[in-house]
Amino acid sequence: MNTENSIDEESYNIRTERFEGPLDLLLHLIKKNKMDIMEIKISEITSEYLYYLRDKSRINPSREGDFLMTASTLIYIKSRSLLPKPEILQDEESPEDRLLNTLIEYDKIQKISQVLKDMEGQTLILWKREEVAEKFVSKEFELEEVSSFQLAEVFLNLVKRREGESFLYIDSKKYSIEKKWEELLQLVETDGYLDFFQYVESLQTIEEILVSFFCMLEMIKQRVFIGVQKKLFGPISLWKKTG
Amino acid sequence: MNKPKEKEFNIRTEAGKMAFIESVLFVSKDPVEPERLMNYLKIKDVADFERLIVKMDDDYERRGCGIMVQKAGGGLQLTTRPGMHEFLKEFFTIKSSSRLSVASLETLAIVAYRQPVTIAEISDLRGVNSVGPVKNLLQKKLIRITGRKRVPGLPALYSTSREFLLYFGLGDLSELPSLEELTEMFEEKEQPSLFQ
Repeated sequence: MNTENSIDEESYNIRTERFEGPLDLLLHLIKKNKMDIMEIKISEITSEYLYYLRDKSRINPSREGDFLMTASTLIYIKSRSLLPKPEILQDEESPEDRLLNTLIEYDKIQKISQVLKDMEGQTLILWKREEVAEKFVSKEFELEEVSSFQLAEVFLNLVKRREGESFLYIDSKKYSIEKKWEELLQLVETDGYLDFFQYVESLQTIEEILVSFFCMLEMIKQRVFIGVQKKLFGPISLWKKTG
Repeated sequence: MNKPKEKEFNIRTEAGKMAFIESVLFVSKDPVEPERLMNYLKIKDVADFERLIVKMDDDYERRGCGIMVQKAGGGLQLTTRPGMHEFLKEFFTIKSSSRLSVASLETLAIVAYRQPVTIAEISDLRGVNSVGPVKNLLQKKLIRITGRKRVPGLPALYSTSREFLLYFGLGDLSELPSLEELTEMFEEKEQPSLFQ
């Protein structure tokens, strides 16, 4: 079988992004070539598989790593088939068998996924109690619980905007939480609310941003303000807590 | 204003029993266990109860009601009829209902058929790291941790939850097709393509 010719125009555009993983890609190739899973010649689909990884100038190890692992297995199997076979112990599973078994299992998993997907489609059209409320909530005002790490990331995000600034020299204390407190309180009281990101934009130094950020956290903690952030890295809105 | 006198119910009669079940299901957020209803109504035989539910549901259908009785996760609940879906979506201006991703479906398929199972086993079967989909499914409460595997590191073991059954409209896990049935299902599906 000529694998080079079977790479048609359509498959040229298909890249690994479309596939869930190396097994998904392999199954796709097997089905495309109308092979039977039980009788596939692994060496024959190897070149086609590798074709998908070609032109990848940069490899993202967390994603393409899995594809590369399988590629090395395929090449290993192909090279084995070209070499005279050493005596294999009877109870040892050959790499071909191992890959085939994995593929057969994965084929089942895909079929079950399809069944689940159909079931999902059938139940999604049956609405249950309080479904309407949930369907609305999940779209708009879902407040996420964030960890202190995520909060720190938001802060780093803020600081990045002042990247050019020198960290080396720190001037004497110019800003105090007490003064910031008064300033923030006044801003919120005059406008009714404050967009914290917008406020930070107007500040000159990282030191002042730092003080403002901690001051804001303190004010939320002491229940002077209510802070709302609708999504991670999104704008932070502040209101004065009433009553 | 003189209201007409409210009808009194007798839950010893069949109609009364059905009316009672209907009102319980109407106010319940979660599916109601049949045993509880049977206890209250002093129905001993499961078959008798089943007949009552079927009759109730048939009544709804015959009268062209917008609701029906659904069995899910070992309980009973009222849901809207499939044919109402498009109207409801339009009325409540909901564009599309969110569905599970392929990665999540594959992961769920593995958990459903191999439970209890570890993340490493799931990743191995899928050929890709599956920490993401497992986290997502945990968050959606479709799977839960049911133990630790007695191997180095004591990895968590995952199983499907009651929410899983509810989400897919299953009474219990045995309603999932067996692996043999699965093969047959897909052979039937794939057959016609041979003649195209």
